[in-house]
Formats: sequence, structure tokens, C-alpha cells
Amino acid sequence: MTLTWNDKEPIYVQIHAYLAEMILAGLIAPGEALPSVRQVAVEQHVNPITVSKAMQLLVEDGVAVKRRGLGMYVADNAASILRSQMRARFLSQEWPGILHRLSLLELSLTDLMKEPS
Amino acid sequence: MTPLAKIQDVRKRYGQTWALDGVSFEVPQGAVLGLIGPNGAGKTTLLKAMLGLLRFEGDIDLLGRSPRRFRHELMRSVGYISDVGILPRWMRVDQLIRYSAAVHPNFSEQVARDILSKTEVSTKSLIKALSKGMMTQVHLALVMAMDVKLLILDEPTLGLDIVYRSRFYEQILQEFLTEDRSLVISTHQVEEIESLLTHLVLIDQGKVRLCEAMDCVYERFTAVDVAASELASARSLSPVSEKNALKGATFIFDGVEETQLQALGTCRRPGVAELFVSIMGRG
Repeated sequence: MTLTWNDKEPIYVQIHAYLAEMILAGLIAPGEALPSVRQVAVEQHVNPITVSKAMQLLVEDGVAVKRRGLGMYVADNAASILRSQMRARFLSQEWPGILHRLSLLELSLTDLMKEPS
Repeated sequence: MTPLAKIQDVRKRYGQTWALDGVSFEVPQGAVLGLIGPNGAGKTTLLKAMLGLLRFEGDIDLLGRSPRRFRHELMRSVGYISDVGILPRWMRVDQLIRYSAAVHPNFSEQVARDILSKTEVSTKSLIKALSKGMMTQVHLALVMAMDVKLLILDEPTLGLDIVYRSRFYEQILQEFLTEDRSLVISTHQVEEIESLLTHLVLIDQGKVRLCEAMDCVYERFTAVDVAASELASARSLSPVSEKNALKGATFIFDGVEETQLQALGTCRRPGVAELFVSIMGRG
């Protein structure tokens, strides 16, 4: 599957988000190897340097651990680190817009939690 | 790191017209450089000059040598694929592999066979019996087997369908790109290679109009879709180009802070194709 890039964020940020979501969804478990830079580059048709940059972000945040000559592995607490990062980003960047829209539409919490009929 | 290719003030005249009019840029190690320009911009002339195939004024340095004087030595480490099929049509694929191994000092028969075994090309086929897509695969396999440091591609995917184009670039990513090799690629299908590029050179009428690392391109240029009410304030920030849209216009800015632009509309990263049209002043 090839991702469709949005034109708002740099591609390495989008690859980082793609890998982060795979880790959060449990598709790559703690202790398991991340796909290699080349695998991701070929799959997504992007320059390996761009993929390396995304992986470097994961290492800097402690989500992935580099093992010499072996590649990148998912850290034990990867999911909790990613979750708190993504929560913070959601609350600061996405939620204000959603909140604004909810108030325009006069939707209450009860309306939202109702099962769709 | 020393660049794999240095092009300095290169000029080439055909009759009264300058096909190349003072072209300079460098190809760093590990770079994937996109050479983009309209028809007749001088792309092929420039690539030919780099390969030592024509005389020119100025300096070109490939892997530390002049392509005119050291063409034969350089061809060991420089590969070239163009849209014009140049493989001998009367040979079988396996004959061509054996021939290449005999004439080329760095050629690995094994690598060529391994790469082709991942494709549908049968080594017993005659070259002329192959489809255009398959011929390109054979050509790429031969180039890969030569372990070249610099690969020059001139419209390599012209006439290939989308499946073969996609496979071609996958092969390049899989087999060719490493930190010490560089790729120079000229193509009209810019969108397809945009995410592969590390450097961009826009060329028009023999002159370089833009030469930047992709990171800098994205930092410098911003596209903004501006509503009709904001057109005047957008124009006051000296945009590179303005293109009418359904409501208002799309502006491209060079070196204007995004904080200044956000009031005008939604900011986004312009695509290379969009940038190309904008800078060439045909927007």
C-alpha cells in the first residue's frame, strides 16, 4: 500500500506518523523489528534519506531503539510514549477546531455518545 | 563529501541559439537530482555534455575527471539510460549479459541475472521481442550489474505504462540508491519522482532557474489559496506567481514567512510541477 501524501506536512513527518500508527495499533509489537529503511522507501516510493529521518525521530523520542548492524526495534514503552505525544498534539491542534464545529452544530456530549441508529 | 559531479558555467551553442547558457550546479554524493525543464530547455544537451558525448565551453568534472578526456575510464563508473532504446535488438538477453561481462571490467553477471530473475523477462528472449517496459528492465539490470557510482537517466520512463514506471523506480530504490551513489534524472513525469528527489534543478532556455536541495525548496516556497477579498494584500507581498482559481487565486511565494501568509488563506507545500509552472512564468 502506498500512502497518499498531504501537502501540509513534510513527507518525513508523514512517514513518522505512519510508523507510529502501526506501532500504536500493535502491528509491530514491543521488541519486534521495524521494517528496514529500504523496505519502507521501496514500498512508499520515497528517498531512503527521508525514511531515515522519520526513523531518527522515533529513536530520539525513545519509541525505537537502534541495534548496531541489526536495525531498529520497537521499545517496550513505545505505545505509551506515542500515545501521550499524539494526545497532546490532538488536544492542541485538532480538538479546538472540532470543538468549534460542535458548538456551531449545537451538538452535546449526549448526542455524540448516542449509538447511530 | 566531494560532489560526484560539478558543472561550471557550461555553454553550448547550436547555430545562433545557446542550448546551454552558463549552467552551473553540483551533484552531491547520495543525491537524487531532478533536472526539470520544458522541451528544448537544454536537458538532453546537458546530460550528453556530462557523458562526454559533445564539445562544450566551461567545465564539467565527473568523479574528479573530465568526461571529454576520460570518457572510457568514466564509463566504468557512470551509467546512462535514455528513452531511446540502445540495446542491440538482435541479441538474446543472456548473450547481452555475457557480452557486457566480457567488455566491462566491473560487470557482475550474477547481479544482472539476480535482478532479472525478479522480473518477467526471460533471459532466452531476443531483445527485439521484448516490450518497451521489459527492455528498460534489462537496461536497468545491466547498469546495476556495473556497480556504477553515478547514474544518468534521460526520460527513462517515456512510453512506459504506469505499472512499469512504478516498478522502474522501485528497482532503483531497491538496487541502486545508497549513500555513496548519485542519480541524475530528467523527466516530464515530475509528480512520480518528487518524493524520491533530494535536489532540484529547474532549467529553461539553457539557463538554471532554480537549484536547491528539496528541504530548502519546501522551506522557501509556499502556495496559498487566497480568497477574492484578500487578493490585494497577497499581491503586496510580491508573489512569484498568481493563478486564477474558482474562488480567488493561488499564489506562490518565495521566502515569505508562513506566519505572514496565514492570514491570506491556507498555506501548503507547492508540488514540483506547480513550482515549475510558476517559476517558468507560464502560470
